[in-house]
Amino acid sequence: MADFIKRLLRTPQGAIGVLLVLLVLVIVLFGPMLAPHDPETLAPLTRYKGPSAAYWLGTDQYGRDIFSRLLIGARATVVMAVLATIAGTLLGAFVGTTSAFLGGRADELIMRTIDAVMSIPSLLFALLVVNLLGSSTVNALIAVAIAFAPGMARITRSVALSVRKQDYVNAAVARGESSAYIILREMLPNVIAPIIVEMTIRISFAVMLFATLSFLGLGAQPPAAEWGLMVSEARRYMHLSAGILIWPSVAIAVVAVGFNLLGDGLRDALNPRT
Amino acid sequence: MTTKPETPVLAIENYSLDYDTASGVFHALKNIDLSVHRGEILGLVGESGSGKTSLAWSIMRYLPKNAREPGGRILLSGENLLEKTDAQIEAFRGRRISMVFQDPSTSLNPTLSLGTQLAEVLVRHRGLTRKQAWKEGEAMLDRVGLKTPAAMMNRMPHEASGGEKQRVVIASAFACNPECIIFDEPTTALDVITSCQILDLFVELQAETGVASLYISHDLALVSRTASRVAVIRRGDIVEQGAVRDIFANPQQDYTRELIAAVPDPARRLVGDIVVDTDKPLVRVENVSVHYGRKPFLAALTGRATERVAGNNAISLSINPGEVLGIVGESGSGKSTLAKAMTGLNRFEGKIWFDGREIRNLGDMDNAYRKDVQIIFQHPDASLNPRQKISEILSRPLKLFGDASHLDQKVGDMLEQVRLPRTHAQRYPHQLSGGEKQRVAIARAFASKPKLVICDEITSALDVSVQASIVQLLLELQKASGTAYLFITHDLNLIRQIAHRIAVMYRGNLVEIAPAADIDSQDRAEYTRRLIEAVPRAAGQYL
Repeated sequence: MADFIKRLLRTPQGAIGVLLVLLVLVIVLFGPMLAPHDPETLAPLTRYKGPSAAYWLGTDQYGRDIFSRLLIGARATVVMAVLATIAGTLLGAFVGTTSAFLGGRADELIMRTIDAVMSIPSLLFALLVVNLLGSSTVNALIAVAIAFAPGMARITRSVALSVRKQDYVNAAVARGESSAYIILREMLPNVIAPIIVEMTIRISFAVMLFATLSFLGLGAQPPAAEWGLMVSEARRYMHLSAGILIWPSVAIAVVAVGFNLLGDGLRDALNPRT
Repeated sequence: MTTKPETPVLAIENYSLDYDTASGVFHALKNIDLSVHRGEILGLVGESGSGKTSLAWSIMRYLPKNAREPGGRILLSGENLLEKTDAQIEAFRGRRISMVFQDPSTSLNPTLSLGTQLAEVLVRHRGLTRKQAWKEGEAMLDRVGLKTPAAMMNRMPHEASGGEKQRVVIASAFACNPECIIFDEPTTALDVITSCQILDLFVELQAETGVASLYISHDLALVSRTASRVAVIRRGDIVEQGAVRDIFANPQQDYTRELIAAVPDPARRLVGDIVVDTDKPLVRVENVSVHYGRKPFLAALTGRATERVAGNNAISLSINPGEVLGIVGESGSGKSTLAKAMTGLNRFEGKIWFDGREIRNLGDMDNAYRKDVQIIFQHPDASLNPRQKISEILSRPLKLFGDASHLDQKVGDMLEQVRLPRTHAQRYPHQLSGGEKQRVAIARAFASKPKLVICDEITSALDVSVQASIVQLLLELQKASGTAYLFITHDLNLIRQIAHRIAVMYRGNLVEIAPAADIDSQDRAEYTRRLIEAVPRAAGQYL
């Protein structure tokens, strides 16, 4: 493990990625404690203020402290994105590995179904799910997870196909192991490395997808401090104070870039041949 | 060689090579001293990881970024290659020094025709025009014994066989009449008969052109057949070098002696000739055929006949209890296909009788059958799950076929049975060497106390000395348990040592089955005789 971390930190993208993700993690864990102001206190006198000693990143259209709102909104935004991605990834990885293991007609059937689902853009698909289930945070999470699963299934299958041909899988089949054991214990652990890399990259997509859903009013509801919602609300007041729009966008970008770089770093660190 | 010219064509003086790795400096080559004179073939023999190929690349001046050269010189006709600039080296390569690689299917560019790749060398280094180069290329292909050189020039690599491709590679290595050619295991990827022909071609061209050759190989028998002098390399050190005759007849170092002793010699039988002749064979394979590929959906609907690739054509053979049946044949002859059919990895048509039970399809292979028939694969790297500890790998068959009590104790016993320390149970496969991994795979196969173990080329990925110890282990296990083996290999010398009977396969058909002692008799089928003739005799027998 120590060796793995050393390898991860050796590449610049890995080191920066780890740093940014750690920063995000600290904010997620301790954000509410660190926030200097209450995020929902309205202060009509201090609206559209620029950065100052009292309000580090300025205030928004209701005079709320943007910095505090960002610190508190991190939980809603990042945790949701990570959870949704993990759920989607697990589902997709399982389907993809199963499909690769079964092969033949079953593989064909599963993959063509997935192709059909994938032809619907993930945002539209998420909208469809939210509309069916009703708009709430949990439903948005389910929607994003389901929207991600087909893509993950496809990537997993391509990796799992090469694992399927390995002799240790043949050995397990010849030994008479159950399909479940072969999929879960023999194949999945060996396809996990590229999946983790893909997952970290998708977390940034999830952040944006959640932001979009909130923006459309289908995810988090005002006055929640969710970053996507903040951007969407700020849009109308952009000409009065650009900061309202810029800071939440920067926060989303930091998370996206951080996880992307971490994914790049992980890809190198998980491949022992580099 | 009676009179040697003053300066050798290739001289390596006190040369060392290190690699910087994450876990410190790795000394790949230590103080190497070698020289190859004009018209001479120097064989460089060593096991995997001994630094043979590193040496080849450092002569070609193509080293990875983490390579360091602490000292020494590499001289080509007196010029030190280490002091040349990149541009000078580029002019050298291909013109004055060239290389033939192990696998012709990867050393040729699959998107360019053979002629284009050959002409490229001539245009680049001899300044010919495209037209001249093409003509010259045809002449070259004719010289390397290809029957239709003009047609061959226009073919793509995938349209030529392995032997034909290697001939093209050799033609391009000889194209500019270089002073020195490095051969890096040029026949390892080829079939026995083809590699014999390639070797003849090499010796002929070498004698004709007088080029200084460095012939790298892990195969002592091959080297003793071609080279005039041999250098034995081990872990980056030259252990011993000298004339072939001296090295083989009178090796000075223990390591060389071990290497020579490890080479299989068909005259030295390792099993008793007890032909267990019973009326009731353990396994009887009856007309088993395997076809690859699936009927296309449309063809199935319309009832159109489709041609499928046949892996096996109606194979019939039987194995007695406690017998070692060898199967030999070239790659693609259907040896492994049969093994996979017998272990339930391939669908088959026909019948398999096992211990009196009839097995018609994969569904008939129940737990009892799978317990009794075990398979060991060729590459231990691929057959052990890299993410599982040895203890988990070995405990699976126990859980499936036996009782799962005292697992730790049993796994330890299994490891000791294959001469591995008990502590290896806590390791992952990548922490073991190739030979150790294969021992784990053997332990796994024997865990269920099977009646038949199918060994699919299990020693061909291993070094000679490791191969010898693995074979010895298998024979000891057999003596102890009375298991029958189906031993698949392309190494005829090895199989003649250990098998009771040998089955010869060719293109999916069973040519014949003969007792091991009679395999070289003149009454054998024509293909068998050709195969036997092509096999290099055991080391030292060319003297």
